[in-house]
Amino acid sequence: MAATINRLAATVSRRRQAPSRRRSGREALLGYALVTPIVVVMLLVIALPVVSAVTTSMQDQRVIGSPSSFVGFATYLDVLSDRAFWAALGRSGIWLIANMVVQAVLGFSTALLLQRSGWWSRTARTWVVLPWVVPTVAVAVMWQWMLNTNYGIVYKMLDAVGIDIGSPFGNPAVALGAVILVNSWHWFPLSAVVIYGALATVPTEVIEAAKVDGAGAWRTFTSITLPLIQPILFALGLVGSLWSFNILDSIYLITAGGPAGATTTMPVYVYDTAFSAFRSSRAAAASVLTVAVLVVLALVFARLSRPKEEV
Amino acid sequence: MSGPSLTALPRTLAKAVLTIIVIGPLYWVTISAFKGREEIIRSTPTLVPETFTLSNFEQLFQATDYPIFLRNSAIVAVGTTVVTLLLSLGAAYGLYRLRVPGGGRIAAAILLSYLIPGTLLIVPLYSMLADLQLIDTYAGLILVNVAFTAPFCTWLLRGFILSVPRDLDEAAAIDGAGPLRTMAQIVLPLLAPGIATVSVYSFVFAWTEFVFASQFVVSSSMQTLPIGLSAIVGQYTVNWGLVMAGTLFTLLPTIVLFAFVGRHFVGGLIAGATK
Repeated sequence: MAATINRLAATVSRRRQAPSRRRSGREALLGYALVTPIVVVMLLVIALPVVSAVTTSMQDQRVIGSPSSFVGFATYLDVLSDRAFWAALGRSGIWLIANMVVQAVLGFSTALLLQRSGWWSRTARTWVVLPWVVPTVAVAVMWQWMLNTNYGIVYKMLDAVGIDIGSPFGNPAVALGAVILVNSWHWFPLSAVVIYGALATVPTEVIEAAKVDGAGAWRTFTSITLPLIQPILFALGLVGSLWSFNILDSIYLITAGGPAGATTTMPVYVYDTAFSAFRSSRAAAASVLTVAVLVVLALVFARLSRPKEEV
Repeated sequence: MSGPSLTALPRTLAKAVLTIIVIGPLYWVTISAFKGREEIIRSTPTLVPETFTLSNFEQLFQATDYPIFLRNSAIVAVGTTVVTLLLSLGAAYGLYRLRVPGGGRIAAAILLSYLIPGTLLIVPLYSMLADLQLIDTYAGLILVNVAFTAPFCTWLLRGFILSVPRDLDEAAAIDGAGPLRTMAQIVLPLLAPGIATVSVYSFVFAWTEFVFASQFVVSSSMQTLPIGLSAIVGQYTVNWGLVMAGTLFTLLPTIVLFAFVGRHFVGGLIAGATK
């Protein structure tokens, strides 16, 4: 619906511009001049490196830039037979799903609270984004401090009620979960704010009408609100999971992939392979494989949850 | 809309919990930075500092390289912001206002490239920067940062540009203004909130960026805060007051900036996502 209106508006405005031909020629010239710089930067920093990652992945390069020769798919076979690769992929799966669930729950409940009237909701709409604004390194250090076994406030508070959490970032059994929680603290405001914005686009009349028809709050929510905001939830889910999958800084700054590899997700594996093990080609092959997996997952996700056209 | 069967008491409780989760850690970092060496490691933590001291900050700025990291981060962040602003304003204006032929495809390609994972690029980017002699330079970091901020900022500006009425352009054209003057004198001034939003986003991105800064900068005199601060944590691991002072100074600029334009930023994000 909205897309159709936009298209119509675009056509109308293009028609209105038609009279002066010379003017539109000058406009197009200015337009291309304005767009060129970003295209050049993207080609240089994104497109070229992507191509070069693919070529590197078919070589046997060790230290970045060192001489190497073409080996075809041998590097890929190496990576595929590396158990650490599969372990990292599995951890990334856990990372992705757990982050999504925690942030969806936090984001939705926060958005519902932000929507209410009153001073708390009004002020919270601004300060709730603070965790997202805090630099990741600060997030990492502040949680290490609060969970510190000797002096940490969170540790002490839990200890006071009889829960000994030990040293969560140092314990292989819980480290991944602990980093996921910290990362969710950092990122949930984004979902909260976007969902809040989405909820605000639902016309109040529709909600009122459902109430008049005798629908309860839950019913109204599931059969009116959710379908209406589904397109936004779809975009948030897709972009959010891609971002989330690729996170390296939160993990590296807290545990650097440890203890004993317990938090080595795919990005950490690639980073370590390139810069600690100095095997550039392996790192490149692993990341090409990862991108392939991501593309497949994104397509499946789009198939399953894309909003129906023109409802 | 009322949340599914939330009655007043659980709702108040939820508000309280959310407030503590969000504000609590920030409060704790702040007061920890002002506590004395003895107080910060007391077995029963004090909720309000009793020994209010600035000694952690003194030590941070006199005994560590923190001021150098701060300067490097400021240079990289300001550079990234300026270049991002130029690129994304140009791109957004050309794509969404002048609507150059083929613009839709260019816009889609730019946005799509934003979803390519940084880890895929880090190996080839390193060789490329080495070829260009940009390893260990501010320019190298700025160039890489911009490639990651400019696409998102172009998209953020879309909502702001669409909200400036096109009638203005025509009125300007009737008055004899060319496209360049129309852009500079009519449309740009109306984009002030969008410009503020984009500036904050790119500044914060560069200020926070860890992955590229950790590899594309080698000498310690060029390091930015994310790497510098984590090095200080490793070095002064028992001196938590000092570490918290460093953390506070790292997060303060982003929060202050956000305080000024946070409303626009959230608005722009929502407009972009829902339009």
